[in-house]
Amino acid sequence: MSDMNDDFGDEPSDGTFTDEELGTGLLEEELRQAAAILDPVPAGLRQIAVDAFALHDLEARVAELTFDSLVDAIPVRGETDPPRMLTFRADEVTVDVEVTRGRSDRPGAAAGADPDRGAERSAGPCAADGGRHGPVHRRRLTHRPVRAAAADRPGGGRDGWLRA
Amino acid sequence: MPAGTTHSTAYDGVSYTRGGTVDRADVGVLVQSAADGDAAAWKSLVDGLGPLVWSVVRAHGLSDADAHEVYQTAWFRFAQHLGRIREPEKTGSWLASTARHECLKLIRASKRWTPTDDPQLLDRPSEDRTPEESVLDSEEAAAQTERVRRLWQEFEELGERCRQLLRVLISSPPPSYQEVSAALGIAVGSIGPMRRRCLRRLRARLEARGTI
Repeated sequence: MSDMNDDFGDEPSDGTFTDEELGTGLLEEELRQAAAILDPVPAGLRQIAVDAFALHDLEARVAELTFDSLVDAIPVRGETDPPRMLTFRADEVTVDVEVTRGRSDRPGAAAGADPDRGAERSAGPCAADGGRHGPVHRRRLTHRPVRAAAADRPGGGRDGWLRA
Repeated sequence: MPAGTTHSTAYDGVSYTRGGTVDRADVGVLVQSAADGDAAAWKSLVDGLGPLVWSVVRAHGLSDADAHEVYQTAWFRFAQHLGRIREPEKTGSWLASTARHECLKLIRASKRWTPTDDPQLLDRPSEDRTPEESVLDSEEAAAQTERVRRLWQEFEELGERCRQLLRVLISSPPPSYQEVSAALGIAVGSIGPMRRRCLRRLRARLEARGTI
């Protein structure tokens, strides 16, 4: 058994920093270079570790606001109080939110679309400006960040928070 | 003061930057930046601490497939814990310890110990041409290549404990004794004396073969 070679009892250790000590330091460095040449981290594994960064915010993925009619839309003549249209995007999923002025209990509309499939994935009530999912609870609409929670169906579980 | 502690201090005081891209002192800052979404900081961590993780895996003598699995698992775990790492500056030890536990889990599960003295290893072409390899490619470096191969061969024929300890110690950049302790589950104080004895033993083997 190879471990039998590892009996350390026969060698003195006085702890002084000697020429031999410097020699073992050099030997270790030489061995380090040999390891870098003969047993490096495989390139494929390094890349996997680099890509693992995508996992760090998996549970807190925040959708990016890609369109806001308040700043991006061309004004429509005659429309004095148009609904505010917001488009959020997180990877392949986009969510369009329409926020309208009116009764505070009017449900907003949220639709998630998968551009690859071109199909609507989910639609249901949403809330904007700090409200919970369900009917829109809107205070005065401002330029402040908007938060919305989208759910597959009324009373259903929250899919995730969107923030912009 | 015990000999190991004296040496450990001397060793720890030098060369964290030697041969590596990440100064260990920067690890805490990099972890913080990565947690805040800085992908470049994460990449630096992979380059700076990847060789340590790999050395832990190799020290445990896993098969190639298992070694790859453990390496990936350690980084996946780290990515998922990134925002909850309590002591960012000790990330090296965290990764080393995580890799060690994953190794032990696989070893227990498979109930077999695949020896690392893999005859293919010395001849296995690397997937990536490192600068060192390019140097070795040149004709003038043929003698040096031979010396490196012999050195590695003697290293691999050391006893299990020496081979394990040295494999982790020689990752780049040189790990701290705390990281080595986390990687192998041995007391920090015993690393210095063990290291000295193992290197002496290796030197003796090389002298006996006329390699030095």
